[in-house]
Amino acid sequence: MAMHFIFSDTVVLLFDFWSVHSPAGMALSVLVLLLLAVLYEGIKVGKAKLLHQVLVNLPTSISQQTIAETDGDSAGSDASPVGRTHHRWYLCHFGQSLIHVIQVVIGYFIMLAVMSYNTWIFLGVVLGSAVGYYLAYPLLSTA
Amino acid sequence: MDHSHHMEMSYMDSNSTMQPSHHHPATSASHSHGGGDSNMMMMMPMTFYFGFKNVELLFSGLVINTAGEMAGAFVAVFLLAMFYEGLKIARESLLRKSQVSIRYNSMPVPGPNGTILMETHKTVGQQMLSFPHLLQTVLHIIQVVISYFLMLIFMTYNGYLCIAVAAGAGTGYFLFSWKKAVVVDITEHCH
Repeated sequence: MAMHFIFSDTVVLLFDFWSVHSPAGMALSVLVLLLLAVLYEGIKVGKAKLLHQVLVNLPTSISQQTIAETDGDSAGSDASPVGRTHHRWYLCHFGQSLIHVIQVVIGYFIMLAVMSYNTWIFLGVVLGSAVGYYLAYPLLSTA
Repeated sequence: MDHSHHMEMSYMDSNSTMQPSHHHPATSASHSHGGGDSNMMMMMPMTFYFGFKNVELLFSGLVINTAGEMAGAFVAVFLLAMFYEGLKIARESLLRKSQVSIRYNSMPVPGPNGTILMETHKTVGQQMLSFPHLLQTVLHIIQVVISYFLMLIFMTYNGYLCIAVAAGAGTGYFLFSWKKAVVVDITEHCH
């Protein structure tokens, strides 16, 4: 494996079937990785917004429940509305964990693509991160 | 004849710099292209594969050869990724708890109509030589090392180990970040 950046039209990225051997294929691969980097930045912002939304929409019952739990052992004595909100909150949190897994996997895929040491791929990832950050971070109303 | 064959092989080597020839026998789903026994032998796979024979993991003595060893490595990597997520959350909560040293500075600032107002700034922070900060630094080093280990594990391109990293990260986030969400809810929203 070459340990320095090279300009080349030939690369194999991540999977055996993703082998590039022409300028058109390289352009398409760079575009795919650019969009992947944009998606990665978007997911980061999306996760923060989702967490903020969940905390705003389900605040009082959960916090009261937790305060009651920390004060005394009244964990089992819930009225059913509070139990339903708790259930919804667990679903939201499970969804967020799935998004977190997707974010981790995409991050590692981008790292492995850059590890191919192909300069076009690297520039595509950098540009995608820049575009993704530019588009997504203003949507963070809390930041 | 021999000379021309040798020239042909070296031409193929210099042309395609990234050949997907990986030397993991058995159970790899792909076929390595022709340059497998050329003089440019690549020890590291560059595409994903599923296998458990002769998998080197991080250290020179750690080689996986059987399915049982791969299962053990899967569990170990899973727990390492879970521990990494937990460490991130623990550092955050530790930081929040230790930021109790509040300093108030008052300074005069010019206000409207030429009056002088006293503006009070509140700063929360840690002293550099305090124990919480030293603890944060040690935990930061551990976190950096573990994150690089996870990156190197993912770099083995072994499908089982990569799935273990992703699943461990997801499970760790699910288990530990739940507590973080509750803590943030109570302490940062003034009821």
